[in-house]
Amino acid sequence: MDIFASLGLGFATALEPMNILYCFIGVLLGTLVGVLPGIGPTATIAMLLPITFSLSPVGALIMLAGIYYGAQYGGSTTAILINLPGESSSAVTAIDGYQMARKGRAGPALATAALGSFFAGSVATLLLAFFAPPLARAALSFGPPEYFALIVLGLLVSIALAHGSILKALAMIVLGLLLGMVGQDIYTGTPRFTFGFRELFSGLNFVSVAVGVFGVAEILRNLESEKNREVMVKKVTNLWLTRDDFRRITAPVLRGTALGSVLGILPGGGHILSAFASYSAEKRLSKTPQEFGKGAIEGVAGPESANNAAAQTSFIPLLTLGIPAHPVMALMVGAFILQGITPGPNVINDEPALFWGIIASMWIGNLLLVLLNLPLIGLWVKMLTIPYRVLFPAIVIFACIGCYSINNNIFDVYGIVFFGLLGYVLIRLGCEPAPLLLGFVLGPLLEEHFRRAMIISRGDFSVFVTRPISAVLLALALGVVILALLPSLRRKRAEVFVEED
Amino acid sequence: MKHRHILATLALGTMLAPVAALAQAYPDRPVTIIVPFAAGGPTDTVSRLVGEVMSRELGQQVLIQNVGGAGGTLGAGQAADAEADGYTLLIHHIGMSTAPTLYRNLPFDPLTDFTPIGLITEVPMTVIARKDFESASLADLVEKIKAEGEALTYGNAGIGAASHLCGMLLMEAVGAQMTTVPYQGTGPMMTDLLGGQIDLSCDQTTNTTNQILAGEIKAYAVTVPERLANLPDLPTTAEGGLPALEVSVWHGLYGPEGLPQEVVDRLQAALVAALADETVIQRFAELGTTPVSAEEATPAALTETLTSQIATWKPIIEAAGAFAN
Amino acid sequence: MAARIVRDDLIAGGIFVLLGSYFALEALNYPLGTPFRMGPGFMPVALGGVLVALGLAILLKSLRGGENVDQHAPPWRAIVLISGAVVFFGLTIRGLGLVPTVFITVAITALASRMNNILAALIIALGMTVLCTLVFAVGLRVTVPLFGPWLRF
Repeated sequence: MDIFASLGLGFATALEPMNILYCFIGVLLGTLVGVLPGIGPTATIAMLLPITFSLSPVGALIMLAGIYYGAQYGGSTTAILINLPGESSSAVTAIDGYQMARKGRAGPALATAALGSFFAGSVATLLLAFFAPPLARAALSFGPPEYFALIVLGLLVSIALAHGSILKALAMIVLGLLLGMVGQDIYTGTPRFTFGFRELFSGLNFVSVAVGVFGVAEILRNLESEKNREVMVKKVTNLWLTRDDFRRITAPVLRGTALGSVLGILPGGGHILSAFASYSAEKRLSKTPQEFGKGAIEGVAGPESANNAAAQTSFIPLLTLGIPAHPVMALMVGAFILQGITPGPNVINDEPALFWGIIASMWIGNLLLVLLNLPLIGLWVKMLTIPYRVLFPAIVIFACIGCYSINNNIFDVYGIVFFGLLGYVLIRLGCEPAPLLLGFVLGPLLEEHFRRAMIISRGDFSVFVTRPISAVLLALALGVVILALLPSLRRKRAEVFVEED
Repeated sequence: MKHRHILATLALGTMLAPVAALAQAYPDRPVTIIVPFAAGGPTDTVSRLVGEVMSRELGQQVLIQNVGGAGGTLGAGQAADAEADGYTLLIHHIGMSTAPTLYRNLPFDPLTDFTPIGLITEVPMTVIARKDFESASLADLVEKIKAEGEALTYGNAGIGAASHLCGMLLMEAVGAQMTTVPYQGTGPMMTDLLGGQIDLSCDQTTNTTNQILAGEIKAYAVTVPERLANLPDLPTTAEGGLPALEVSVWHGLYGPEGLPQEVVDRLQAALVAALADETVIQRFAELGTTPVSAEEATPAALTETLTSQIATWKPIIEAAGAFAN
Repeated sequence: MAARIVRDDLIAGGIFVLLGSYFALEALNYPLGTPFRMGPGFMPVALGGVLVALGLAILLKSLRGGENVDQHAPPWRAIVLISGAVVFFGLTIRGLGLVPTVFITVAITALASRMNNILAALIIALGMTVLCTLVFAVGLRVTVPLFGPWLRF
């Protein structure tokens, strides 16, 4: 069957009125649950999974995919409005998105996120439709050494996340890497840094770290002097992008889409890097990098596009090989199996209507998402006019319930307090939370792939340079370091980076 | 009805308020089944299929709660600590019988800290390799492992995972060690096997059947005495000359220790009904497994399986020197 | 630029040195392993060392002097009340159930703002309790009971 006949079949399936309805319900529910503070896509899908059981396989999977983009977008909304990212990707959006909101530009930030996501989603869906099988094959050539090299490169590039001292940013990344290692070592089962608590064996929860260092720390900062906050909220001005905004977001959206599409295909952790990588790229390419971290619209456009592109292309390994790239995809596998379809290489041939129907519905889902959310922007922005003394208790309680309901582990709730206080102290001292969060999500992957590469190579360190992809990635990483250390550039950096707020 | 239950409760000398409350009409609120593994995995799938039918039978929602981590011991520990009121249950697999040997500081005893309710299913396993692996048959494979030993890599889905247990058994049956490469879950392990980064593994049909049928990986044998309906060409390990490699991933339903008898009966009846359900049987078949018979979906059968499996795995794990603290 | 010690960097550097040492020293209790089979201690020891080094670098740089940034005083009342409220939530959510826990947690949290008096805090708590019950219990059907086992009978 050629590609157009296949896509025709897909759209015929996805455009059935019931399927459009399921898609819409999924997107709507995903958005509504995703905007609850502390609840990201994984938690949203886990909670809403049961409502899809009674549907037909196609309907159920279309709805789940809809829930996924909806939740992703909802998570970005909370990241922008109240500095509470629900998943690692939206942590990047929080950096500049929240600053835009503080300057009264929440509307344009949300609109940028919606438009960037829609564009990226559309392109990535096309990529998925045309090249899924070969791309999935190509991704398989990434083994442990390649992933290790990719993560090293990602970490080094991401120093750009910081807009203050570069040394402190590095220290925050390393601290994050260490915090990511709390829990049971997967190779030997040895519990590390757990103080004997079994609740910590599976590690610290991302949501409690994110809610702590972003959300609670920010609330404490705001409560330092309550008058400033009330003033800044009143300034909410236009909701829509200006002509200048459009000009500024075009290139970042394109680059973010490209970066995200490529990274999303890699099942070993590529999607995590996409938003961080896009942010770093935009900051480096920008003529005004000093604006990043203070409300640069490019810092929202790039990562949001990258993030959504990766969200789409991470379906590639799942649909073509049956491999889940991340926890959300693992949940999708469960949903497939419950519907009597085991994801794997055969799905495309055995269930063409399902396979192409899902792909077509992804595009429709993205379209519905943007149609649903553009009108909602006004409503979300209105939320900011809620007096802060009412808003912050709401944030705290939603974060507690959301965090607790993920694993029913009260240590995740205590984690909010610990990381809230740690985050508050460190932010007061001029350190930034985003690098810590990046280190935290990449720490376990870095160690896992490094140790696995060493086992497979039987202890031979040269494996990292004898395998071509890994060698190229590490060479790039070395290039990043050299660039950072070149004396002539250092002076320029000093102006750019060592400027305290 | 109500009176009889309260009298029975008093007669047992159990004065605990929750039990008396619950005796009136169990279940009167949603029942949570803890699955000690991540959502989307084979145990999760089995649990959700069974849970859905049980929910119809019990007239209450059955919620699946994934408490992953620590090789399934975290979730099991949480279930052991839960109130014995029938509202928190556990579905665990073969790992329940290996945990006492693998984990030296296990905070619970599988035999005494739980109330067994019944067996659910036994999932066969398949010995698999990357698709360009040289050996043509199981006999060839055994020779190759003997000859090359640690030069070969064997991937498993983490300490205590079914693929870890099968690997230990395989290496013991062959009498040679390979280099073990642990992963966090089946997904990443399968990725690297498909990509040819590792040589061999052995995993549940739930995870492997589709890949085998698509020719993405090579299969050598199935680890149960009979061939499988959906993989009829795949010989059993006994046919292939390695009868010692016999293992299947059995799943059981448990409650915390001291579950009232009437609750056990109610749950067991719901379990038996679920295992006789058409959809469950059909979905299980697609996963390469069948529900156990009604006689085995009983507390006695589960206790017996658990006891004998603990005894079986202890020497194998100790010989392999595998410990997870 | 006045050659004053940068107080914030001094403290930040100190915190990193302390945290790095904790991780590195604690990880020394775990096997380090060999390059072929690295133990659970290897990465944390290495990274802990790197964190100590970075902390020292920040410390030393702070001694060379620079500008100090003036800041507001820490909101002690908010720190104590919010931390206390969240810990209270963790301690009681299983026992008291959703409704009482949310009510008390929100009331304590709301008092963290000097602009809320007791009456305002109670009103906010009431509103949030209704909202959370609707969203989480009615809408999302989370497994937390409305009133927990401590309150039965």
